Amino acid sequence: MRRLSLVGRVVVFASTVAIVVVVIVAGALIAIVSLRHAQARESRAKDVTTATLRVENIAFDLESSLRGYTLTGSPRFLALFGDARKAMPAALRHLKTLVRDDREQLRRVRATDGFLHDYVTDYAEPVIQIRQFSPATARSSVASEEDKRRARDIRGTLGKILAVEQTRSARRAAQARDVARTAIVVGIIALALSAALVLLFGAWVARAVAAPVRRTSAAAAQVAAGDFDVRVEERGAGEVGALVGAFNSMTRALEHSREELLEQNERLRESEEHKRDLISMVSHEIRTPLASVCGFTSLLLEREFEREEERRYLEIIDQQARRLAGIAGDFLDVQLLEGGGLKLDRAPFDLVELTREQAHLFFSHSSHALELDVPDIPLVVNGDRDRIAQVIGNLLSNAIKYSPAGAEVRVVLEPEDGGARLTVIDEGMGIPPDDRGRVFEKFYRGSDAASAIGGTGLGLAVAREIVTSHGGEIGVESETSRGSTFTVRLPVNFS
Amino acid sequence: MTGTRPKILVVDDEPPLRELVMVTLGDAFACDEAGDGDTALAQMREARYDLVMLDVMLPGTSGTDVLREMREDELLKDVPVIVMSAWQSPQDVASALEAGADRFLAKPFRIDELGSMVRGLVGRR
Repeated sequence: MRRLSLVGRVVVFASTVAIVVVVIVAGALIAIVSLRHAQARESRAKDVTTATLRVENIAFDLESSLRGYTLTGSPRFLALFGDARKAMPAALRHLKTLVRDDREQLRRVRATDGFLHDYVTDYAEPVIQIRQFSPATARSSVASEEDKRRARDIRGTLGKILAVEQTRSARRAAQARDVARTAIVVGIIALALSAALVLLFGAWVARAVAAPVRRTSAAAAQVAAGDFDVRVEERGAGEVGALVGAFNSMTRALEHSREELLEQNERLRESEEHKRDLISMVSHEIRTPLASVCGFTSLLLEREFEREEERRYLEIIDQQARRLAGIAGDFLDVQLLEGGGLKLDRAPFDLVELTREQAHLFFSHSSHALELDVPDIPLVVNGDRDRIAQVIGNLLSNAIKYSPAGAEVRVVLEPEDGGARLTVIDEGMGIPPDDRGRVFEKFYRGSDAASAIGGTGLGLAVAREIVTSHGGEIGVESETSRGSTFTVRLPVNFS
Repeated sequence: MTGTRPKILVVDDEPPLRELVMVTLGDAFACDEAGDGDTALAQMREARYDLVMLDVMLPGTSGTDVLREMREDELLKDVPVIVMSAWQSPQDVASALEAGADRFLAKPFRIDELGSMVRGLVGRR
């Protein structure tokens, strides 16, 4: 089942509490109405009892005044009889009105009415008249069995009415007490239930809403203070849970952005450092040949030399000027490589002859020993002769640069399946394992910078670009302090 | 030592630069040369030089390390040293002087500057 949203839950909870409160109030109202009803009925029973007793008193007054007059002949008793006689119809009417809805009691009241009426008209008034002529007859009459019977009839019916009303009154009082007790019990249970519901609701709000909001607020303060690692436990009802989730996503995004910025900053810093190193390295690379060019030029201009010496110094100037041009060429090549503008001037040429030529160029003035192992017959490949010469030259100058004076450099050229393989092996310092994978990256000089070996870090990058443009490949194997072996594979024909 | 020419050791891994220094100083000085730091130290321990022209960037033992070793060596600690370098930032100059160089000569240099620097140091002794 789908979980209700926070608003849905609050509505359900509030509605439940409202329904419970309405039920309590309705129950209390019903109990109050029932109680009042029971009280009213009890009160009516009491009125009937009072009215019955009033009729009983009148009956008693009729009997006793008749008996008094009969025995004494005193007109005072006759007056008393007259009063009772007059009060009787009103009292009976009143009683009839009170019991009009109760058929049984009404029947009894009517019977009483009949008995009293008969008593007065058929018995009492004839006895009074007899008393006026014959007191003795009248006295015997009131002591007669008929007098007693009539009085018994009247009292019997009235007693019955009283007994019924008393029973009812007691029963209604008991009912009223029961209703009151039930109302109290229902009220207490409902109050306890609604109090429990309100407490439950409060606890739920505290747990599901307030606590996550408080945790999120504390975390937001941490984020504001720069701590982006903070995460809030993703617990909480509906929208609050979603808020916490959104907060965590936001923090993750912020952290990610910050890391990116830091990385970018670090890259910028490295790039800036790299640029500084590069400028410094380039100016060093240029100054070294420039020192010879400037120095020998000044000497030639200021001093007199033998023709032979003069020529030698001019050769040095020429060599060093070419070196400067080579450095400028490397930079130009890098620019071409980056722009994808390296153009190859392809033509078939003999790789054996080119290798011999380059070896002579680099080793004729070097203290290093060269062991050249090339085929006796031409090995013709289709490529850009000058660019391949540049590759061989870079490998040879590296072999010289990175090995001690007098060390042997071995250059092997041999035909290979559909192509040629050139290997340059030196006995130099080798390449540290960390640098091996990066020697072909442009400007990468690895530990050279620390070991005070000059260079632009461009030679191998340019060489790789030239070799791959010819459809070939270049690789290196090396052992620290034992030397390096660079291998170039070139196809004879490439498309 | 009167009548004998002052002895100078020129240490640089670039043969044209060694030659330039030696030609510039001319016949007034007796120059020897070395292409790396270890050879230079060995030569200094065999013959007593009046001045060493020392390049910073050398294969193997660097010029700065050669200089430090010289300054810790009883025999070599007083030999004047001119450090030559194409690295010439204020830090490079400071580190050469701290290592014990007497002068710093930035490449490329003027030939008269080299001559007067050498004569100044050798003549003082």
